[in-house]
Amino acid sequence: MKATFPHLLHLDIALGVLYPALGVEIITPPPITQKTIEIGVKLAPQNACFPLKVTLANFIEGIELGADTIFMAGGVGPCRFGYYGQIQRIILEDLGYNVNFVLLDHPRYGIRPFIRALQAMAGGRVLSSRVIKVASLAWKILRFSEELETERRALRAQVKNRQQLDEIVEGALEQLRQVNNGESLQAIQEATRKKLNSLERKEIEDLIKVGIVGEIYIAQETKINFNVEKILGDLGAYVHNSVSTVEYVLHTLPFTHSQEKLEAWKLAKPYLKRFVGGEGIDTVGSTIRYAQQGFDGVIHLYPFTCMPEVVAKSILTTVSKDYDLPILHLAIDEHSGEAGLVTRVEAFVDVLERRKKLNKRKLEVS
Amino acid sequence: MDLYLGVDVGSVTTKFVLMDEGKNILASCYLRTSGDPIEALKEGLRYIEKHFPHDGEIKGVGSTGSARHLAGIVVGADIVKNEITAHAIAAITRVPEVRTVFEIGGQDSKLIIIRDGVVEDFAMNTVCAAGTGSFLEHQAVRLNVPIEEFGKLALRAEQAVRIAGRCTVFAESDMIHKQQLGFGKPEIVKGLCEALVRNFINNLATGKTIEDPIVFQGGVAANEGIVQAFRDFFQGKKKIIVPPEHGVMGAWGAAILALEYAPEKTSFSGFEVISRQFESRSFNCEDCPNACEIVILKEEEDIKALWGSRCGKWTPATVRKRWEEKESSEEPLQREEESLVEG
Repeated sequence: MKATFPHLLHLDIALGVLYPALGVEIITPPPITQKTIEIGVKLAPQNACFPLKVTLANFIEGIELGADTIFMAGGVGPCRFGYYGQIQRIILEDLGYNVNFVLLDHPRYGIRPFIRALQAMAGGRVLSSRVIKVASLAWKILRFSEELETERRALRAQVKNRQQLDEIVEGALEQLRQVNNGESLQAIQEATRKKLNSLERKEIEDLIKVGIVGEIYIAQETKINFNVEKILGDLGAYVHNSVSTVEYVLHTLPFTHSQEKLEAWKLAKPYLKRFVGGEGIDTVGSTIRYAQQGFDGVIHLYPFTCMPEVVAKSILTTVSKDYDLPILHLAIDEHSGEAGLVTRVEAFVDVLERRKKLNKRKLEVS
Repeated sequence: MDLYLGVDVGSVTTKFVLMDEGKNILASCYLRTSGDPIEALKEGLRYIEKHFPHDGEIKGVGSTGSARHLAGIVVGADIVKNEITAHAIAAITRVPEVRTVFEIGGQDSKLIIIRDGVVEDFAMNTVCAAGTGSFLEHQAVRLNVPIEEFGKLALRAEQAVRIAGRCTVFAESDMIHKQQLGFGKPEIVKGLCEALVRNFINNLATGKTIEDPIVFQGGVAANEGIVQAFRDFFQGKKKIIVPPEHGVMGAWGAAILALEYAPEKTSFSGFEVISRQFESRSFNCEDCPNACEIVILKEEEDIKALWGSRCGKWTPATVRKRWEEKESSEEPLQREEESLVEG
């Protein structure tokens, strides 16, 4: 068995440590490029959402490198993520690829098939202390890879040398691929934190703070969302992203829960009580949290035609008024143009800066 | 006399504004970009040089528009800003009580909501051309009406035909259909103006409160037919102002931003730029499947700027090194030249 899987930011790093340790041979699909997008757009239904197209192309690029098994997760509820796996399986069959499609559906659809799929993904192994050990190491690696990006987003506007920041983060991510035990991970963590702390900072008064909310794939995958967080950082904004794979997994697994998500759901309650699929409620809740934390603006990233996020978008109009918080909505798909997106983001940052100055003046007068 | 220069290079037209410290426009010009922004920039500079006061000195330069980065390098801008901010600041300067800005240019249209002299919200249409100047121009050619006469013709119509304005292709076939039903040109032109206005409102104003006074600017504001169609749409209840400088508001805004930015020493390249030779070159990087098109702005052998490198590996230094390596590997220089497509 040679398995391939979809990319999602740095998921491949954690899986690249997990699977070899379990004795499962994997083929990491090549990084997402323009070619990946073209493959997905050509083969997927035109009206399917963008993440389906890109992940389908990951599988095809993985199969071309020799993969014969696909590991894919499934979603739940009104969101179309629920049928990604099925559609992709049928498309691959129609194309004549003879692959084994292992779909890890949401445990809500039955705990038995969930455990069966999980077992298939662990190379047929049962839950042993060894499996738990490597899984927990991979989990820690995933966590740290997200933490690195959190640091990069926060620091980009503040450090004097941005290239140095990129080098430290990219270097640490590369090193993570070689981790094989807890000690080597800890050594990388400590060394990286030290390097990040020693970066020279600018003295900035009134740093603009921007939060990112939205759909799990588009809001995280910088290769697809034109790296909005980098554009924001280069424009001098402190960025925080509320979307995280770690929190998603904690929220989805039957015996764990995500504190962050529970909190967001509670905050969203006055506006949205019902589960609308995907990250609809999280988007509303996280936006409110950003408002309460004193962020200057929020950028909402979602795939074009994404139903849960479209529901969230119309609710955010009210949230924006109630909390006096500017929100920029960016729908992303294969037709999105970089120039138009950059112009909008630049203008948005200008709006936030001018508002901040004006509010300060108002405070001084009163 | 301290002067500020604003440059706005759009997809269809290039605008220049020369402004004094009191934000008064001393000279301005509105030219066709004609697909050659560098030539348009030189032509604009020639015009400004001709109207340049003897005791004047340029203290700051601002650039905006879709080719703002190119303009910034060629002219030597102190501040490079997006069109939304530039248009908003010019509108606020012209009409301090403004609450909404409509801007319709060649390839995009913008709606800017302003409260208390600060931009509060904006929307920009870049995907669909149905609500922009290019669309009108294209239809004017079809109808064999000079674009300058287009608006006046619309005003002569006694009634309008309803034309589907959601999409340029549908609008065109609908327009031909109405022509074949025997409607006259004025009615059809008026119908087109109304379709463009409906499209603008549907695409950009959804969920936004449009309060007056509205400042209508951009090239299309010169079209009386469109202005009238906006007035009709609001049933005459909203005050719409078309400032006389409507065509050069973006460039004016860029000049005002340069004044606010107040550089200690301007990066202005000087009017000698007119006689310098710039050239855009490009090559496709084949190191990964992204196949980035790297565009290089050259002056003689000097690399002035470079765009398009997604991973960031191409900088003027690395491109120069690549060229030098190619040269020293005794490969005929010609091959490299051939692979360069003129941009």
